[in-house]
Amino acid sequence: MPEIKVTPLGAGQDVGRSCILVSIAGKNVMLDCGMHMGYNDDRRFPDFSYITQNGRLTDFLDCVIISHFHLDHCGALPYFSEMVGYDGPIYMTHPTKAICPILLEDYRKITVDKKGETNFFTSQMIKDCMKKVVAVHLHQTVQVDEELEIKAYYAGHVLGAAMFQIKVGCESVVYTGDYNMTPDRHLGAAWIDKCRPDLLITESTYATTIRDSKRCRERDFLKKVHETVERGGKVLIPVFALGRAQELCILLETFWERMNLKAPIYFSTGLTEKANHYYKLFITWTNQKIRKTFVQRNMFEFKHIKAFDRAFADNPGPMVVFATPGMLHAGQSLQIFRKWAGNEKNMVIMPGYCVQGTVGHKILSGQRKLEMEGRQILEVKMQVEYMSFSAHADAKGIMQLIRQAEPRNVLLVHGEAKKMEFLKQKIEQEFHVNCYMPANGETTTIFTNPSIPVDISLGLLKRETAIGLSPEVKKPKLMHGTLIMKDNSFRLVSPEQALKELGLAEHQLRFTCRVHIQDPRKEHETALRVYNHLKGQVHSLLVLKDYSVQHLPDGSITVESILIQATAHSEDQGTKVLLVSWTYQDEELGSFLTSLLKKGLPQGTS
Amino acid sequence: QEGKLLVRLFGRDGPLSSTVWEDASVRSGWVEGVHSMMHHLPALHFLCNGGGIDVIFTLQGDPSLFVASAAGQLLVHVLTFSVESETTKPLGTKDCDWPACAQMIIKHIEDSLRSSSASHIQQSLKLLSSLFRSCHATWTEVLWLGIEKQIESFLTEETVQVQHMLANLLLNMSWSPVFHESEGNFWPLVTSALEHLAPVQAGPLAVGILRLYKSPQDVRIQALTVLLQPMECILRAASQPPEYAGLLDESVGDLTTVESLLSSKSSCASLLCQTLARLEELLSLMRSPIDLPYTSLLRSLTAILQFCNGFLRPASPLGSTISRILINCFRVQRSALDVLAALAEQKCCDTVMGSVFDVLLAYLESPNTSCTVLKKTFQATSKWLVSLQELSCSNSQWQQAEKILEDVFLVLQKHLCSPSWEVRDSSLEFLTTLIKYLRDQDEFRQSLLSSEVPRLTESLLEDPESYVRASAVTAVGYLAFITYFAPESPVTGNQSNKENTVAKLQEILSTDPEGFPRRAVISIFIKWLRQGCTGQLEDTEQFVSRVIQTVQRDLDWEVRLGGLELVEIFCSQTICQLGLRKCPYAPVSSAVPSSIHQNESLQVFCRANLFSFLYRSLCDCDKPIGQRACDILLSLRCSFYPTSTLKDSQETGDSPSGQGLAWLRRTLRQGSLAQNFPTDGSNGVDFQDPENMIIALGTIEFEDLHDELNRCSDHVEKSPQSLLQDILATVGTVEENEVDCY
Repeated sequence: MPEIKVTPLGAGQDVGRSCILVSIAGKNVMLDCGMHMGYNDDRRFPDFSYITQNGRLTDFLDCVIISHFHLDHCGALPYFSEMVGYDGPIYMTHPTKAICPILLEDYRKITVDKKGETNFFTSQMIKDCMKKVVAVHLHQTVQVDEELEIKAYYAGHVLGAAMFQIKVGCESVVYTGDYNMTPDRHLGAAWIDKCRPDLLITESTYATTIRDSKRCRERDFLKKVHETVERGGKVLIPVFALGRAQELCILLETFWERMNLKAPIYFSTGLTEKANHYYKLFITWTNQKIRKTFVQRNMFEFKHIKAFDRAFADNPGPMVVFATPGMLHAGQSLQIFRKWAGNEKNMVIMPGYCVQGTVGHKILSGQRKLEMEGRQILEVKMQVEYMSFSAHADAKGIMQLIRQAEPRNVLLVHGEAKKMEFLKQKIEQEFHVNCYMPANGETTTIFTNPSIPVDISLGLLKRETAIGLSPEVKKPKLMHGTLIMKDNSFRLVSPEQALKELGLAEHQLRFTCRVHIQDPRKEHETALRVYNHLKGQVHSLLVLKDYSVQHLPDGSITVESILIQATAHSEDQGTKVLLVSWTYQDEELGSFLTSLLKKGLPQGTS
Repeated sequence: QEGKLLVRLFGRDGPLSSTVWEDASVRSGWVEGVHSMMHHLPALHFLCNGGGIDVIFTLQGDPSLFVASAAGQLLVHVLTFSVESETTKPLGTKDCDWPACAQMIIKHIEDSLRSSSASHIQQSLKLLSSLFRSCHATWTEVLWLGIEKQIESFLTEETVQVQHMLANLLLNMSWSPVFHESEGNFWPLVTSALEHLAPVQAGPLAVGILRLYKSPQDVRIQALTVLLQPMECILRAASQPPEYAGLLDESVGDLTTVESLLSSKSSCASLLCQTLARLEELLSLMRSPIDLPYTSLLRSLTAILQFCNGFLRPASPLGSTISRILINCFRVQRSALDVLAALAEQKCCDTVMGSVFDVLLAYLESPNTSCTVLKKTFQATSKWLVSLQELSCSNSQWQQAEKILEDVFLVLQKHLCSPSWEVRDSSLEFLTTLIKYLRDQDEFRQSLLSSEVPRLTESLLEDPESYVRASAVTAVGYLAFITYFAPESPVTGNQSNKENTVAKLQEILSTDPEGFPRRAVISIFIKWLRQGCTGQLEDTEQFVSRVIQTVQRDLDWEVRLGGLELVEIFCSQTICQLGLRKCPYAPVSSAVPSSIHQNESLQVFCRANLFSFLYRSLCDCDKPIGQRACDILLSLRCSFYPTSTLKDSQETGDSPSGQGLAWLRRTLRQGSLAQNFPTDGSNGVDFQDPENMIIALGTIEFEDLHDELNRCSDHVEKSPQSLLQDILATVGTVEENEVDCY
């Protein structure tokens, strides 16, 4: 029985380090190759030694697919391709390929700088890795090899995020990566066609949550920024270069416009251009509104948001600054934070999660006195706010996607076990499909029932409909014919046509059986007795009703294709041998008659 | 109490019945717990008598890969521990007396091997593999003798699919002195395995055997046959009747299996890829213990590469089938080019050199060559060009070489203009490698300089892709070695060109929005300075001064770090040149009194404004910068205060400069912010005043600073068990936050 095997090396009942191995029809694919933000040691990367016990990774894996540029989905890629030694193809969308190295470079810098690690991937490795990447377009069917094909669908979430359909023959798997079913300020909603995959592997971050409207959080954010600016304070928003930053920029830009605010908004130097460049380049990946208005006004060319110079931080009066990096662990955002932290009028808004050990993490967990690089105590008097702006599908969205794609099985990853359990039950109840949630290192096997399309010849179809009742649309119909498998195609034709096409002569296969009967009479008399017996049975037995029994001039008897002949026994004069034969079509009748004859002939049937 | 707890946790009825047992991490923790107990005999007895060992047997087939693998490892550990701590007399081959616990495990292994369940057999083979890999004691042979026949039978039985595990088992055994030195049946078994296993499975075993110095000759021949058979088939398929000698002796082996694998679409590419990977592995060994038939191997390789690009379509049935399968097969192309590159280092291939370059050039020129394949072609070509150069020195083959170089540069020109950044970048990297290795060759320099390549390379300094700009910077930097900095170069005299190039790189350093090109510029400057290319001392001083003015404002800490490295080299060169310290490379030791030199070099450093950069860096928010700056200042102090005649900090007194220094020391102690660091002159610290600076060097407690910088690391903390827990700890229990990680 054909099967699909799925083994998560990361993201199985967990968030972070997404890495899922899929075996489908003899092909092995790795979905995402992420790192875990919570670990500093070996555990930060998936344990690749489990992929194959012998042989090279490059020979075992047919390809690696990366769903989007977040580090928990691509952070281990340079390690995997340049240090572990995978040398095969890697697929991702064009925006992901463009943005991925920036985040990887950022991650490398932090690790090498803050943690002083030396045995880590280098910039050169990131570049070499990116050179192996094949970029794909949305809805473009990419042929990895002759049998394996992949196709990307829009996933929302972040710029360039994609869901991937992996198809071998008629078996297929869809992997969602992270997705968002509702459009936000700059991206659209995820979409997939009714592709009916054998398996849908979906993220389940918000498995039990129906999220309130994003509007609420946006209002809250604007209110806090506005209040601070009104009272003359400065607002620092630490962000990563791309992603959430653009969404918040659009939000503030519109708000400033509407409220006619004058306080300056700044964005880290170098990054505005870069972000702008990518958003312009990949404008087709943004939402409809941005695309529509792009011709008149590029949403990413902000009127109120200007490039930041480090000297501006000392300017008096209110201002809002977007600075990188997002966790206040180094660089410009940390420098500005140090300057502004002592003033209670100021505010820092953390729009995302911060890793332990970073200044961002410390202030969010309530520390008010920070030891900076071990030598100076920095007192934090400014206000500290946390705001969630992550873009994942909620429970409703996940159900909606399942409804859209109509998978035969669902597998949950990228979430918490307890919540997955709840969603799993819901999915099984509502869609009557199996739902799985393997832990890391556990293999789930799904048996597929690949339907094989067969062409049927018109002649056969006409003949079959002529015999049977008129065809009904939704009722399966059994058809008999000869299946020709030739040149990778399957055709059902009538036996005659098959013989003709293949240039073969027809042979008939008959089942034969000998039945011994105690009867001292001559053979033709025995035959007559058999005939009479069967004749009698036709009238009395329902099974034989409507069958005509014939006695042929040569002494043999026929019932449909069944032929019975009586011969003498070579040694025993008192015994006659009945030779019974029949074709496979009359298998049932033949067996029945044989068993009937084996019971012997009744007396007085001569 | 402890005993009861142990029984509850690790006993027969302990954890299995509990619902938490369903959680793989609990099972994994259980295995880990048992593992850490297994260093004490009572624990071993407890495990065996309490039924714990049966739990481990079950866990070998656990649905979690991690648990199953850990259980296997644990059994190996328990077995080894039991035998090594419980046996008193050496175990003999006959009626040996295994300790009770070892007995249980060995019986389990034997039973599993005899069972009809493939998964049980696989588990036991895995267990044996890791046992023989980790334990080389003589008793392993006793164990082996008990199961040898059973294992042997797997080689011939086709019902059990355990081929690759068998190969792995034999491979691990061959590395154990217990077996590879044995007189017994081991080597015949290996030979038989090499014969019977499918070529793909036998490959790793064959390489393993060939890497051993002590394996018997006939086994080595068999192993080599396994690796060379596919290459031999290719050679035969490529030319019928064979033009050249084959790779293998006619008498060795039957090629029909390999031929049928090569003519099947599903197995051809994977067999070739794996064979090529094994060959590369063998070639990469520092001292290859075997002599390969290099020339024939090269012929076979070029045939594969020609099958792949459609240049070779032989008439033989096998040849035409293979050529149909391999055409445009990137996987095979990549593997073949890797081996080709590795073969360039073998110095015995000159007869086929011409055809190798034909193939390489065809790949370089073809528009169908994919980016990844092109990169590998570049790598192979550079290696072969280096080997051609070495050969032509002795062989006067330069005419051929010149023609090849001309062709290479012609095709390089084309690739430098490619629309794909990957291709432009790989081309630049290729050029840099060539210059690195061949820059001393006149013919190479001439060919390069007479081509369009240098001009195109400079134009790529303005490439839209930052990776390409960075590679262009490096290539231009290396080009300078053969243009502006080479004494005999025709371009040397052109001062304005040289200044233009330096100015262009300076501009990139100060204005490029991306880190890579800026980092590339600073590394090239470092290289130039190291090689003494930046001119006279005075030029160099200005050059360094200008560079650090630019660099100290850079947002990328690696660029600033590069700046510090530049300063470090400059300092040591200046000190050497002025003879302050006995420089190991100085041609003549200076006769001038050291105080004069001291003064002179100090003035140079102050004029170049190095101290301001160094002291600022001490307060940098990126730790490596502070550490490096501190190291440099420490070494400068050693130069200026060779004996321990450090100044007393009190000496500086109340003069304005004294106050300034006191401020500086305070600031450094507090680790003040870089941006709070005063601009030069304010607060009375004049970083350009030699007198001030020499006092600062003598009075500031750099050792303490150094220790502090190395110690403080508030970023390495204990890893949280789970990211989610971490988030909860950070932002409280608002449900939404729990999952808002990325």
